[in-house]
Amino acid sequence: MNATVSAPPTKSQCPDEGQTGLAASEFADLYTEHSRAIYYLALRFLGDASKAEDATHDVFLKAFRTREQFRGECSWRTWLYRIALNHCHNLQQAWHERHVLTTADESLWERAPASTDSPLRVLETKELGQRIQKALDELPREYLLLLLLVADEQLSYDEVAALTDQTPDAVRGKLHRARKAFAIHFQKSA
Amino acid sequence: MKGQNRLTSQTQAQEQALTGQQTQPETTREFATAEELLRHDALHTPVPPRIANRLQESIGKSVPPAGPWWRRLFREPKK
Repeated sequence: MNATVSAPPTKSQCPDEGQTGLAASEFADLYTEHSRAIYYLALRFLGDASKAEDATHDVFLKAFRTREQFRGECSWRTWLYRIALNHCHNLQQAWHERHVLTTADESLWERAPASTDSPLRVLETKELGQRIQKALDELPREYLLLLLLVADEQLSYDEVAALTDQTPDAVRGKLHRARKAFAIHFQKSA
Repeated sequence: MKGQNRLTSQTQAQEQALTGQQTQPETTREFATAEELLRHDALHTPVPPRIANRLQESIGKSVPPAGPWWRRLFREPKK
């Protein structure tokens, strides 16, 4: 992305919100601010680093092309999440690969990007990521999604509820069960 | 969080003392909730830089032309 001078836009700072959306240069800031969250959601939801890469590209490209439709009724992050969730759901419905990935994912972690240059750190990160993915793969899709969204501190329960088409109370109730289920599967994966 | 939700991950110390001492023993890191663990994982999962490059190329291709060639050719001069 091109380097830009302007600060990352926020909901209240978006120019002509509801009318013109973001300028192309400001979109680069939007990518910088939110790409990690979108990529991580795609990675853990799809369970595949290369598909997550493609999905993140497609999500932001769609966001760029439709940015004029942003009405400022939610945050940019929530808007991007909505595009990402729709995209990931469509991918899953089209591919029907989930059950295959859970048993053939050894090579996926070899391709996963490393976080540091330290070999020990890379090994630790890969192992932890593998455990997390295995535990998530055992969860119902709804629980997986709730955990990933609630883990984002920038999202409120209300926003998570809106993204998952349920009430905040329902989110809280299911979150408790999701945490419990994840903890069980995570311990098993040790 | 209660015991069930207490998740642990082992991290291996990577720094060696300048005096040549052995690598530090493994340390255990605890996460109170699944979300906290996922947050930690997300922070250590970098976004491949290829995505930004691909996105830049795609956006460059998707920018529409200024207008049809015939309109540009016969455009009225600005007053």
